[in-house]
This record gives sequence, C-alpha cells and structure tokens, in this order.
Amino acid sequence: MVIAAPGLDAPPALRMRLADLYCAYADALDEGELECWPDFFTEDCLYQVIPRDNFEQGLPIALIYCESRGMLADRVVAIRETALYVPRTVRHLTGNIRLREIGPDGWRLTASFALFQTMVDRPSELFLCGRYRDRVIEDRGRLRFAERVCIYDSTIVPTSLVYPV
Amino acid sequence: MPPADGSPGPLIERETGAMPEWRWPDAGSSRIPNWVYTDPELFAREEERVFAGQSWLYVCLEAEIPKPGDFKRSRLGTREIVAARDAAGEISVLVNRCAHRSAQFCSAARGSAKEFVCPYHQWTYDLSGKLLGVPFRRGFRGQGGMPADFRPEEHGLERLAVAHRHGVVFASFSRETEPLDAYLGDTMLGYFDRVFDGRELVVLGYLRQRIPSNWKLMFENIKDPYHASLLHVFLVTFGLFRLDQRSSIEMDPTGRHAVLVSRKGEQRENEATRQMRAFKSNFTLRDPRLLEPVREFPGEATVVMQTLWPNLIVQQQSNTLAMRQIVPIDASRFDLAWTFFGYADDTPEMRRRRLRQANLMGPAGLVSLDDSEAMLLSQAGIDGNDAAQCVAEMGGRAVHDEPHMVTETAIRGFYQHYRRVMGL
Repeated sequence: MVIAAPGLDAPPALRMRLADLYCAYADALDEGELECWPDFFTEDCLYQVIPRDNFEQGLPIALIYCESRGMLADRVVAIRETALYVPRTVRHLTGNIRLREIGPDGWRLTASFALFQTMVDRPSELFLCGRYRDRVIEDRGRLRFAERVCIYDSTIVPTSLVYPV
Repeated sequence: MPPADGSPGPLIERETGAMPEWRWPDAGSSRIPNWVYTDPELFAREEERVFAGQSWLYVCLEAEIPKPGDFKRSRLGTREIVAARDAAGEISVLVNRCAHRSAQFCSAARGSAKEFVCPYHQWTYDLSGKLLGVPFRRGFRGQGGMPADFRPEEHGLERLAVAHRHGVVFASFSRETEPLDAYLGDTMLGYFDRVFDGRELVVLGYLRQRIPSNWKLMFENIKDPYHASLLHVFLVTFGLFRLDQRSSIEMDPTGRHAVLVSRKGEQRENEATRQMRAFKSNFTLRDPRLLEPVREFPGEATVVMQTLWPNLIVQQQSNTLAMRQIVPIDASRFDLAWTFFGYADDTPEMRRRRLRQANLMGPAGLVSLDDSEAMLLSQAGIDGNDAAQCVAEMGGRAVHDEPHMVTETAIRGFYQHYRRVMGL
C-alpha cells in the first residue's frame, strides 16, 4: 500500500502502480531473478547502498554506487560469474511506502526495508534494515527508478553484501 | 584433598601450573597451527602482547578531528578509546573508561566537546584526560565526600602514547614502543609517504563489516599475492593485479610489516593467464567508467597494499585509497573498518573516479567480497580442526623480499614476528 502525503494529488490507480513496482522489485530479488533487476531502473539511474552514518554526514562512499543501468548489469554479471561467495537466499520486506512529493522530475517516495538472509545450515537472520529514498518516473511504458538510495541503519554489515538491496 | 581445618575446599581441584599446550610445528613459520585461529586464551595473550604491547596502533586520520574539541571514538584491540584534539591542538588518545567506576564516559561516535563528563557520576575531564571535577568531592554540609588525601591528578583518564605522521594518528599502550619512524623502518616509510605525502586529506566515508574469522586471516589475505591471481576475476581480467605483472613483495627487517607492489597489465591472453581460471579474455563492462584508473603517484606502481603491524592495511589500488583497520572481537570474529579518503586538491573527476572504483572494495566490493567470503570459509575449515596446520610454503620456507607474486613469504614473515612477540 502506498500512502500519499497530505495534499498530494495521487489517485488510487497511481498509488496502485507504485505499490506494484515496490512489490515486484522485492519479489524479483527474493526469487533470484537478478537479470530482471536492472530493468527496474532508467538508463541513467542512480543506485546506491549507503550506511546511514555516511548519508547523514554527507560522505559519499557507498557499499554500491552505480550511475547507470549498465553498471547495474555489470554487477549482475559479477554476481553470476565472477564473485566467490557462500550460497544464500534473501528476503526483502518493504513497508511504510510513502509518496512524499510529485514534481516535474517524477514521484519521490520513501519506504522502510528489512532484508533477511539465510545461509545453508544456519537460521535466518536480519541482515540489514533501513530506508529507501526513491525517485520514480514513467519510462517507456512502465514505472522505473530514476534514483534508488538504500540507506541502511547499522554501520556494520555482517560479512558481505552479495545481492542488491 | 579437603583442607585440614575442616573448611570447605574448592569444588574443583585446580591443576596448578598447567599451561596451554602451544607447541609450534617444528617446520617453523611456514606451517601455521590451526589453534592460533581458535584458542581464546591465546587471543587474550594477543591482546596483552600484540595490541597492548610495544606496537603502534592505527587510530584515525587527523582530518577526522581537524578542530580543537573534535573527538572520535574507536577501538584498539578489544579496548574502546577516544581520540580528541584539545584546545592547544594536541591529539590525545584516551581509554573510554571513567577513572571512577569504569563506565564508558563517551557514547557518541564522534563530535565536538569542551570536556568529557561521565554521565554516571559526572566526573569531568578535559580533552587530554585530566580530571577537572568530582561532584561533592568535599561532601555536603560536612558529611561524606572523598578522603582528604584524594588527589585528582592521580585519577585522570588512561592515556596512550601518541605519534603521527603526515596526517595519520597512531597510539601505543606501551611507553617503551620505539619511535614511529624506526618502528615502520625505511622501506615502509617510503611507501607510506608515497600516499601520505603531506597533502591535506579528505575523508570520503566509512564502511564496516563483521567477518566471522580470526583477525590474523585478514593480514594473511593482504600479505598473500598468490591468491589474488586465482580468486579475483576482476583484478585478473582487467590486469589490475596479476602475477604476470611486474611486482614485488617487500618487508621490514622484522617481517611484521609488508607491502605488495604491482603495476597494471593488459587484458590479454598469455602464458600466465592461461593458467588462471579467473581470466576472462572476452569479459567487457557495459559501463567502463567503473574502471578508468589514472596514474596519480610517482613511479610505475599502480597498486601498493601495505600491511602495518598490528592493525592497519593501507590500500592504494588504482585510485581508491583506504585505511582498513582491523578490530579483533574474539578468536573467531573481527571487524574490518574502512576509511576511504582522497586529497583536498582532488579534481571533481578524480573524486568521482575514487567513488566509482570503491565499488571494487568494501563489504560489497566486486573484489573484496571474494576475500571476506574466503575468510569465512577459512575459519569454517579451521574450526574443529585445531590439530591440523596450514601450509605457507609457496616460494619456499624462508622469509625475504621477492620480486614476484608467486610466494607466501610475507605470511611467513608475519608469523616469524608473531611467534617472537607471543613467545611461541
């Protein structure tokens, strides 16, 4: 469900389409459909996974910093073909999706995420939690992220982040 | 045997004089017994002899606490500290423990302060750790208070010895540690000054990860150029670090510090790359801006990875610069704290390049990810196999500098020094 900030002209059909974008995004990652992941973004998108501490201090270093869909696609190839990592599954819970602003450059939204990770022979664990800060636009017939900044709350990442947030 | 006076004896008879069985393999430092990665008693001895011993521990960059009053919290070994710049501009490194009842007096990660006030009983210290005030020291209406012979100057915060060089701050728990320059030695100083050349530094951000392995495996990883050509597809394919490139591994006379030096090669098939499963001649990036390194340091080297005993890795891989601080937690866990930086005079293009290349580093790094996962696998293989040992004989069994990468000489150098410090 997408809740619009007071005073915004956000008809139910738009809010439904936005909710569907968030749902499909999490679903694609949780089902391991990594190859679809770049398609959720515009060609010249910004995608970042950054600790809250850096974000709040205005420090730019991020866990992942991609400035185009091409960089996202390169990361998918790296995950599939070049990186060494222990097998795991992930689960994203997205909530509190809030449409905050409607402007000429798109819809600005925020949402909370909890990312759980399950490794072989280990109990599931909360891996990261935090907030998405997004800008969504209509792009070639569907909604896509022009910006998705994933701001995670803890400073500490358990071992390594393999799959996107 | 119960005591003769009839009082209750201890429930469990303590074995007196029983020492842990730490016997290093006869083969020497080219064999590493697995118990060095698991034994909690050995970990306690490391804390005492390595971290609290005669070592210079990396604390922070001066650029993180540029103004009087600025402070930053951190951990050296297993102890919390606060690095603070006082009104005179001097940096003090203080144990984060009130001299009264041992409460942590500082809980902010960083900030600016005129004084430190312990929240528990409001004992107040200046930024150099001197005790300024004790509430009700003289009691109230003639009652209570500290004894008349209580001397505040004897109850300051625990202070470490501090040394700095070109904007990098180090501290030592021991007053007998040799001067920093001598500690690093000429070879390491040369490489250190290459990155820390006196220019003003700018912190670009922090990343931190908790790795389920012994802290020493992190050092071994960066002292081991052999794995890089096999494990890291990104480094190998794009010629960022590969064993057919002109490289060297150099150490200080003790073997405790080391540096891996290499220069960039090409994405071309040759006699060496044919032996590397990681080499992919047809792998191209859709957005090549990720890797557009430019030369920025004098000389031919494009990669210089320095491991400085006992808690610092100085990383210069192409245009990413980072301090990687090792923070041990227990025998089988450590935090790796990354501080990425650049120079105040970086152009916007160079700043952007550093940010893009940082995608290779850190807990989600296209290269470093392999390392943190490899360390997880190492510890998983070590646990439960204390009697086994690791073999570090690539390039022989001796410890000396090498003009190539097919060697584990710096791992042997590390353990040669480690054994001396630890009495093993």
